Amino acid sequence: MNTGLSNFAARLRQWISTGGDVRLPGALGATEFNHEPPHARVAQVPERGSVSRSTLKSGGLSGFVLPPAAKFPRFLSSATPPHVGCDDADFNARALELFALQFRFNPAYQRLCTARGRTPERVEHWTQIPAAPTVAFKELELSCLTPEERTVVFHSSGTTEQKPSRHFHRAESLAVYEASLLAGFERHLGPGDGVFFLTPGRSAAPHSSLIYMFDTVRRRRALPESVFLGTPAGDGSWTVDFLAVIRALQSARISGQPLMLLGTAFSFVHLLDYLAENHVRFHLPAGSRVMETGGYKNRSRTLSKAGLHEMIRDGLGVPLAQIVCEYGMCELSSQAYAVGDEENHFPPWARVQIVSPETGREVAEGGTGILRVFDLANVFSVAAIQTEDLAVRRGDGFELIGRAERAEPRGCSLMAV
Amino acid sequence: MNLPNYFLADLPPEAALSPMMVTEACQALKRNRARYLAGRTTDQQVKLLSNLADEWQDAGSPFRQLALAEGPGQTGFSRATIERGLDAFFRRLTRENLHALLIQDLGGPRRLDELVAGVAEPASQRAAMAVAPELVAHITAGNVPNPALMSMVLGVLTRSAQFVKCAGGTAFLPRLFAHSLYEADAKMGACLEVADWRGGSLELEDALFAGADCVTATGSDETLAAIRARLPHKIRFLGYGHRVSFGYVTGEALPSAFRAGHVAARAADDVVAWNQLGCLSPHVFYVQEGGGMRAEGFAELLAAELEQREASEPRGELPVAAAAAIVARRGIYEVRAAHAPGNTRHWCSRDSTAWTVIYESDPQFQISCLNRFVYVKAVPDLKTLLENLESIHDRVSTVGLAVAGDQAAETTRQLARWGVLRICPLGQMQNPPLTWRHDGRPALGDLVTWTDYEL
Repeated sequence: MNTGLSNFAARLRQWISTGGDVRLPGALGATEFNHEPPHARVAQVPERGSVSRSTLKSGGLSGFVLPPAAKFPRFLSSATPPHVGCDDADFNARALELFALQFRFNPAYQRLCTARGRTPERVEHWTQIPAAPTVAFKELELSCLTPEERTVVFHSSGTTEQKPSRHFHRAESLAVYEASLLAGFERHLGPGDGVFFLTPGRSAAPHSSLIYMFDTVRRRRALPESVFLGTPAGDGSWTVDFLAVIRALQSARISGQPLMLLGTAFSFVHLLDYLAENHVRFHLPAGSRVMETGGYKNRSRTLSKAGLHEMIRDGLGVPLAQIVCEYGMCELSSQAYAVGDEENHFPPWARVQIVSPETGREVAEGGTGILRVFDLANVFSVAAIQTEDLAVRRGDGFELIGRAERAEPRGCSLMAV
Repeated sequence: MNLPNYFLADLPPEAALSPMMVTEACQALKRNRARYLAGRTTDQQVKLLSNLADEWQDAGSPFRQLALAEGPGQTGFSRATIERGLDAFFRRLTRENLHALLIQDLGGPRRLDELVAGVAEPASQRAAMAVAPELVAHITAGNVPNPALMSMVLGVLTRSAQFVKCAGGTAFLPRLFAHSLYEADAKMGACLEVADWRGGSLELEDALFAGADCVTATGSDETLAAIRARLPHKIRFLGYGHRVSFGYVTGEALPSAFRAGHVAARAADDVVAWNQLGCLSPHVFYVQEGGGMRAEGFAELLAAELEQREASEPRGELPVAAAAAIVARRGIYEVRAAHAPGNTRHWCSRDSTAWTVIYESDPQFQISCLNRFVYVKAVPDLKTLLENLESIHDRVSTVGLAVAGDQAAETTRQLARWGVLRICPLGQMQNPPLTWRHDGRPALGDLVTWTDYEL
């Protein structure tokens, strides 16, 4: 048991659990939250700066006081958006503290940092912390946990992948993951009992961080296992139980109660193709929401985000503004969300940089680059992760570039991608 | 220089093509061919092509100037890369080489003109004439311009009308070459069409296939299979699928540091040529252990050479996704090098993705992400090398070879028996001769149909 990391994890959970903005109307846990559409909610939020530091401090978060700039981006006044990865003394202090701990207790990460000549003594700002490429989770055991301490491992998905990423956990790190995912989930999807997942349950996919997330939501809401409407397929992937989904959608239609349907992009394609083939269309009750995530992984045809959302709107009758796109991966402990056509945002304990692949430096507003995430909730592995995803820097958020939006592959030579 | 609107590819990008436009173009091409091109002689076509090649090598040529001035913006290749690539191509396009090609593939220089005996036929009392397709459609991959230019050269030589369909956004150099043909002989140019659309535009392609009697295509095996499945039965189809190439440096080829530097410079030529994007470009250089230099040392020399080339012949800008692919791939080897430096080392251009050399002790063949990203691997002998190529069996095009004289015969024989289709000196991988048998097949010979006459 590592007291430095445990202590950090405890403080982070406290920060997350209060959302850092407990005094704000409409903040996490407030009773009014999510009873109105997102846009109306934003309008109620006071302007940035109108909440004093002392108000926040009175929340009693010793050691983890969140300045206004580090609140959820959603709450910020659009007049003064900070740029992506905006500086913030408190985030910086936490990130440097965590880097020093991870450098010390994660030997694989330490070797990578040393090879780059970036050690804690030489890093002054969180943006200088060496970001581990996601491939390091495939190649190495990138963990601060000793082999004996590891109780759960999350694997990256993908049918063609020979060696998946592995992110090791134990109860303590899972507690941080749960706190982080629940905060983001509640913030963007809101309450409601009518929650269904287009995936199998956790027992069928014990190494999926996504299904762990869904199961955490299920447990928090005290829902039965039957809200999982997917079934495992032989090849390690899963399929949707179409009839079960139709039953759930029909009962929502009869009761008039809003419903929340969550799944991977490819599961939605499978479902909507099935509905279209059978000439079935739904118009889900007002207030219903859809969350799609995770891409296609060659398990269905690939659509653009707009194309998928339009298909969901047409097939399920859920307005585009109520379709949420989640971005997460097994290597992270926090998720970014984009509601409707808005840009993606991580919660305040995770920051992003969009970096030029050529120079490694942050691109300008509107520029395209590689998404780098600094997720403080990755307490027991590595906080700084360089993904293989492309994104456009947009204000205080980012817009993911999906595979479908990329250029046509061409050539006569085989090429690794 | 503003190019006139001769070709569909000259239309502004916002102009949408319709199947009707493609159909009409095919009809016009065939009509023009019947009126003019069909009556020309092979000699006239050879002269036209060789003169054109001379012009393209002339610094004063407006087409060359345009290619060099606007090419970097249009193609992503640097000016120096385009210049070297085009010069290498047009230098080969001589009267002598065209004659050699006609003799090699057709058995004689006049076999496209009349019924004549070929080099091997007098003994059997026969004559024959090669008949070319009326309209050839070329579906080009677009990663490098040479294959499209070569396809056009063969079509000109056989006096076929041609419709060159370039992959979306890659028409620039084929279009310039077409304009230079038009300039040299406007009636000839009227038998040529160049267009540019995104692959898989089925209605346009079906209109094209309906008009053509021969289709050549370069691209992935999936692309070729999709095209083949849609072609009417009577159409001849020449598909050139995905291929990979590598280099092999034997121990005896590296007897000294001086000699090794020379070999590394030739290897760099092959990586730099068309930014390594063609199927003749190397993914890996295998270095035989036991010579004057270890593979790791050779990798370091190659890295230094690529660094120098970046100054004289820069790679040019890449789309973000291609650059990100390089970064992701570098990440793998950075991680491995940090943990097992004896097995993996990496050399990367600073503050850019311009070039990357990866040394790995594991001899398993690796597909590169290209754009000047190359592997160097050690092998004890050729047998081990071939054992590590299982993943690309039947897909190897070219082996660039650096070998000592007395070993050459045995090495090349083993490579040929294994299934390698072309063996050339290191440094010449992207520069095949005009007579090169494309993917092991006679490129000109496969275009024609024969009429035999028994005397």
